[in-house]
Amino acid sequence: MSVDTVRQPGATAADPGLSMGLELLAAQNRARLIQSAKVGAVWVGLVALLAATLLQLRIDVPYAARYYGYVLQGVTTTLWVSLVSIFFATILALFGALGRLSRNSIAQGVSGLYISVIRGTPLLVQLWLIHLGLPQIGIELIGLGFPRLGKLFILRAVQSGILALSLNYGAYMAEVFRAGIQSVGHGQREAAQAIGMTHWQMLRRVVLPQAIRVSIPDIGNNFIFMLKDSALVSVIGVMEITCRASRLARRDSKCMEMLLVAAAAYWILTNIASWLQSRLENRMARAYRH
Amino acid sequence: MIINVENLHKWFGLLHVLRGIDLTVAPQEVVVIIGRSGSGKSTLLRCLNFLEEPSAGTITIDGQTVSAGLRMHASLRTRAGRQQILALRLKTGMVFQEFNLFPHMTALENILEGLVTVKKIPKEQAVQIGEQCLAKVGLSDKRDEHPIRLSGGQKQRVAIARVLAMEPKVMMFDEPTSALDPELIGEVLDVMLQLAQEGTTMLVVTHEMGFAREVADRIIYIEEGQIVEAGPPKQILSNPEDERTAIFLRTFTRFERGKR
Repeated sequence: MSVDTVRQPGATAADPGLSMGLELLAAQNRARLIQSAKVGAVWVGLVALLAATLLQLRIDVPYAARYYGYVLQGVTTTLWVSLVSIFFATILALFGALGRLSRNSIAQGVSGLYISVIRGTPLLVQLWLIHLGLPQIGIELIGLGFPRLGKLFILRAVQSGILALSLNYGAYMAEVFRAGIQSVGHGQREAAQAIGMTHWQMLRRVVLPQAIRVSIPDIGNNFIFMLKDSALVSVIGVMEITCRASRLARRDSKCMEMLLVAAAAYWILTNIASWLQSRLENRMARAYRH
Repeated sequence: MIINVENLHKWFGLLHVLRGIDLTVAPQEVVVIIGRSGSGKSTLLRCLNFLEEPSAGTITIDGQTVSAGLRMHASLRTRAGRQQILALRLKTGMVFQEFNLFPHMTALENILEGLVTVKKIPKEQAVQIGEQCLAKVGLSDKRDEHPIRLSGGQKQRVAIARVLAMEPKVMMFDEPTSALDPELIGEVLDVMLQLAQEGTTMLVVTHEMGFAREVADRIIYIEEGQIVEAGPPKQILSNPEDERTAIFLRTFTRFERGKR
């Protein structure tokens, strides 16, 4: 079997097959672009079809044009609530994951119960428990003679919203963080132990840096979910996108118009967030390339 | 004796892997441990630095003694017990078959980790020590590379440098070349030979009989968790006293015609 008759896949400058390889590549790229353009055209067509249908059904475009600004003012609140909540959720998730993996029975018990209860109850119920249920306890405490402690239980709508979202997402992300921590190779723990690291040193210097890196895409995904779930806090009166849209919708009976504006706002936000996330992931992947 | 192992037993569930090992190692001695897979040779090594907790027995390394067993199990989990184990681990250094470098750190940072985090040596001093160790294994030019960019042989040499930097009394090698492509084995064995010539006390589990013949002061053959035979390479490899040793060694020359 002669090696000379086999074309090596990794072409060098002197390889006579190189030009054919390049042509094939260019043709593949062209085909891919054409396919993308076709799909894009379908998107445009569908949206146009929807718009035309709605216009025929006398949707009030001037009204939407007049009031879309009011709805968009809610974007800052939506972003603020989502960002703050994902931040606290990440911290809670870290403690939750470490607690679940801990050898300490108290840590294991607390985190396990927290995760189980949160994952087993609806977010809406959790939200109402915090915003309506806690003040009830607060008032009791004040009545029993603990005014300062009682006041802590009476939260403003934004605070309740952030607390509920943080607790909720923290529990779900904790399981992913736990998997991330456990995915760090067993051998590395042994190497860390062999050079004399304590359990905490090993966690801090070897395990967590890698686990967090692995978990960042999950945080990004959850932020996108959070942007959409933040719409729920409209039910307790936080003036974000959905709340503003639904107020006008109900006041002026312009439901389709206002809620489509709201939906469009969320769609744009999530697309931007997705794009930012894929750029971040690309940047991180580059650091690990051979 | 820098290592003294008395009556070492290890059970994994109902599997009796180590059955009463007694072992002593003198300072600067190079001991090579050979045996089939499952014979307990890696477990023996891993018990010495308590990566596996022995089921029974006493381990003394450079004066630091830790006893194991049913009665000791609870006390080894206390703060004092863990300090004892840590002290034992600082006397030893382990080179793994799978290298086990920290992938999120560069070669130099891998070496610095033990110095800075465990021994609390100031950074500048640690960097000096680290660079010396890297130079010693011939990888100074790779100091800022991440393990993913290194070949297997280079990774293992960095792993050796990482252990060297901690200045252990005893260096243990758990099949250091078994995961390497054949053409990369030589560079690692060269480093190990150099260490042996400098008088490092070494405990090596390996299948590299050539290395054992040239470098070992003593070869130990383990079968089913017990030491069958121990002696200088000339004896063990050419003239074993026990039939079981001879049978094991014959598997290495099975495809060599006309040889021993």
